[in-house]
Amino acid sequence: MIEKSHLLPYARRSDFKVARANELTGKDRRFFRFLEIVPGVAAWSTIIGIVLASIYTPFIAAYFIIAFSIYWVLKTIFLSYHVRYNWRRLKHHMELDWGAMIQRFSYDKYYHLVIFPFYKEPIEVLEQTIKGVLDAKYDAQKIIIVFAAEARAGAEAEALARSLEEKHGDSFGHFLVTTHPDSIVGEIAGKGSNVHWALSQVREQVLDAHEIPYKNILTSVFDIDTVIYPDYFNCLIWFFMTVENPYKSCFQPVPLFTNNLWEAGALSRVMAMSSTFWQMIMQERPEKAATFSSHSVSFQALYEIGYGQANVVSEDSRIFWNLMIANDGNFEVVSMSYPIAMDATTASTFWGTIANIYRQHRRWTYGVENWCYIVYHFTKNKSIPLKKRWSVALLQGEGYWSLVTNPIMLFILGWAPIFLGTREFHETVLSYELPIMVRNLLIVAMFGLVVSAVISLSLTPPRPDGHSRFRYIVMMLQWIMVPMTMIVFSAIPGLDAQTRLMFGRYMGFWVTPKSRTK
Amino acid sequence: MTNEPQIQILPPKHRSIFFWILVVIFLITLPSLIFYTTGYRLSFENEVTSIVTTGGMYVTTDNLEVDVYLNNEQVERPRLFRSAYYIQNITADQHRIVVQSPGYQTWVKVLPVESRVVTEVSAFNLPEQAQLRPITQYETATGTAVYFSTTIAEKVFAQATSTEPFYHSTTTATTSLRINSEFLFVESLFGTTSTSTQSVFSKLLEEVGKFGFATTTPVIASSSTTTIERTLRGDMELFDDEGELYAKWLGSSAAIPYYLCISSSSVASTSQRYGEHVAEAVEVARQSTSTPLLIDNNRVCRTQVKLDRLRQDVFYYHFFPNSSDLVLMQLQDGIYVTEIDDRAWQNTQLLYPGTDIHTIVENDVIYIKDGEYYFQIVTQIETN
Repeated sequence: MIEKSHLLPYARRSDFKVARANELTGKDRRFFRFLEIVPGVAAWSTIIGIVLASIYTPFIAAYFIIAFSIYWVLKTIFLSYHVRYNWRRLKHHMELDWGAMIQRFSYDKYYHLVIFPFYKEPIEVLEQTIKGVLDAKYDAQKIIIVFAAEARAGAEAEALARSLEEKHGDSFGHFLVTTHPDSIVGEIAGKGSNVHWALSQVREQVLDAHEIPYKNILTSVFDIDTVIYPDYFNCLIWFFMTVENPYKSCFQPVPLFTNNLWEAGALSRVMAMSSTFWQMIMQERPEKAATFSSHSVSFQALYEIGYGQANVVSEDSRIFWNLMIANDGNFEVVSMSYPIAMDATTASTFWGTIANIYRQHRRWTYGVENWCYIVYHFTKNKSIPLKKRWSVALLQGEGYWSLVTNPIMLFILGWAPIFLGTREFHETVLSYELPIMVRNLLIVAMFGLVVSAVISLSLTPPRPDGHSRFRYIVMMLQWIMVPMTMIVFSAIPGLDAQTRLMFGRYMGFWVTPKSRTK
Repeated sequence: MTNEPQIQILPPKHRSIFFWILVVIFLITLPSLIFYTTGYRLSFENEVTSIVTTGGMYVTTDNLEVDVYLNNEQVERPRLFRSAYYIQNITADQHRIVVQSPGYQTWVKVLPVESRVVTEVSAFNLPEQAQLRPITQYETATGTAVYFSTTIAEKVFAQATSTEPFYHSTTTATTSLRINSEFLFVESLFGTTSTSTQSVFSKLLEEVGKFGFATTTPVIASSSTTTIERTLRGDMELFDDEGELYAKWLGSSAAIPYYLCISSSSVASTSQRYGEHVAEAVEVARQSTSTPLLIDNNRVCRTQVKLDRLRQDVFYYHFFPNSSDLVLMQLQDGIYVTEIDDRAWQNTQLLYPGTDIHTIVENDVIYIKDGEYYFQIVTQIETN
């Protein structure tokens, strides 16, 4: 019998950590399966609908495309406004002396539990990561480091972590190496299950053993390539001490994929910075935000829900939804606007890089599985305010729908009536003006890329020796690839992911390869 | 040092205000742009601001170097490497379109433009001086054409230019020369195919069925009195009947070329807009059972057009290379190219002058025999 007394009431439900329809029975199973089908059907219906409208009602399709192009320009302005604002906040936060700012608080009792799940990444990656923590402006004795290895990665992985423990173990308050067993029933191999195991181990071996209260632990789950900025822990303490409900909050930094930015190709850089910008936008739109990648939360909150899920792909966002639903909607994402550095996705070859970026974004966009989870539990947990349930479901649903459909509609289907429309349509001024109008509106929208280019340069690490200044020009010009990257690395992998979910071909966790130039 | 960050999260009120400003912009912009893209414009003429409806004209050309004029005003050239002009903001009326370039023949048409509709037109401009590629029996080791007489310069190249250098041999010795295999091929073409010494009209008189050198998909159709020779390209057919040359559309009404159709929605008469001959042709077609009109929502389409042969006899005809809209005709005083589009009139341009010439189009290459010499006519134009 699994002990559940420490769990929040809603987290005790047997379906609380449902991942797929086939884990349920009866009506619930059918409903969850229906939800899995909805995103794919919505996306495909939109795309096919525009094609059909272009053939049979080209005038209406043309008016819709004009409306959509205007919407896109305004959306670009709206999002650029958020990026620019967050950029100011981010730069400001990077200049602040957070160590001095938290002196007014009594924070000595708090520990930072930092979990680094890893698979087969090389020692150079792990070394750079631990160096980031060692360089942090925070008392290292108040830091608990956990390197979470995978048994399926072989003894070498654990040996790497042990070597780091031997080298740096004394520098920290506690240093733990865990090895997630292979083939635990009900789990899928990946970061989520590894972290789940690591949390349970650190509770037993460190927190309980040293009688450290769970409420005094701030847990940061970091991807293994995460290199923290020196004031991260101070900044986290500041936000933890100042937010209204610290135990009902997740703390989200801004991931800058800059560790290897100078070594990465233009495509990798654009995708990396685009991801950063999206997270910067989310920092200013907390009503739409969920946790992403590396983030922090109190151990107490995690313990109250039995940690995160070990059976999902997008575990980094799912943990927020677990917490939000278990807490009856009373859980928020706090945007720290403080950076952490991570790796841009690369590979040793150009095509390998493309494949890796595609797979990574397909995994990210498979986060649409969270929408099914949210809506399913919104129908069960009536304690969450109805308005919140509706707004979150619609906002998240619109996000996944627009991610897949908008780039395709804008850059491909915008021309569909011209090629597919009727003869009557082709003879009209509208038919000739449509591509000119759409093109001009897209050019206006592309001015947003200038903002992106300028901001991205300001976030780029200093130029290392051996790299030409010419690279700065390339870094500016690389943004013209955005229309292509939006289709190839956002819309298509998103459509791929939603289609897989629609047909019940569930995805597993794909580990993004990490490497370092030696 | 401050104890608080000076920049807080973007206030919801600011976001909300910004959002609603954008919504207002959207609501204002959308109808404005829809009106604009459908042809509505604000007019500030006559000191009174009013809304007028406009149409457009879409002109494709076969030459990137040409200049296009609408009502004597030059139209701005399209972007690099594009040969299509979309002219906006044209009032509903008759408009004169001229396509010209130094060294090329001028193409002119007067066509109606209607509100919210784009009038499509395709221009062609042949070189003023024909360009010939010599095909001689002998050539040098480096492939240069060799003539044994200097009269070629006086006879042919006085009115045409050669695209390739050629060589005048001062002797008739051929030991240092080699036989040109292309010459043998072209000679065999003219040798095995009956030459164009009889006109369509004279053949009509003799009621001789065999005519011309049509080498692409010739179709022989028998009538009660004459045998009509037909040439097909795609769904467009050329044929001569009773001394006249015709182009006939055999395909579906959906794919019919735009120039065979005229708008039936305008209040102005067909003869005013497209010419008397078009109005008559439409009326004839309306009565006809063999070449009926194709009528749909707002247009009337003829399936057959009579080609302008400049009141001369036609000795040879064929589709112009790589085109189903242009027709090559050998008339009494030379080889001409005419367009099937007879709206307003058919532009007919001289390709090569001469009376003692024979013509064959083989694999979209125009070969001529002028007297005793063979040439390829290099058109240097690519048509749609």
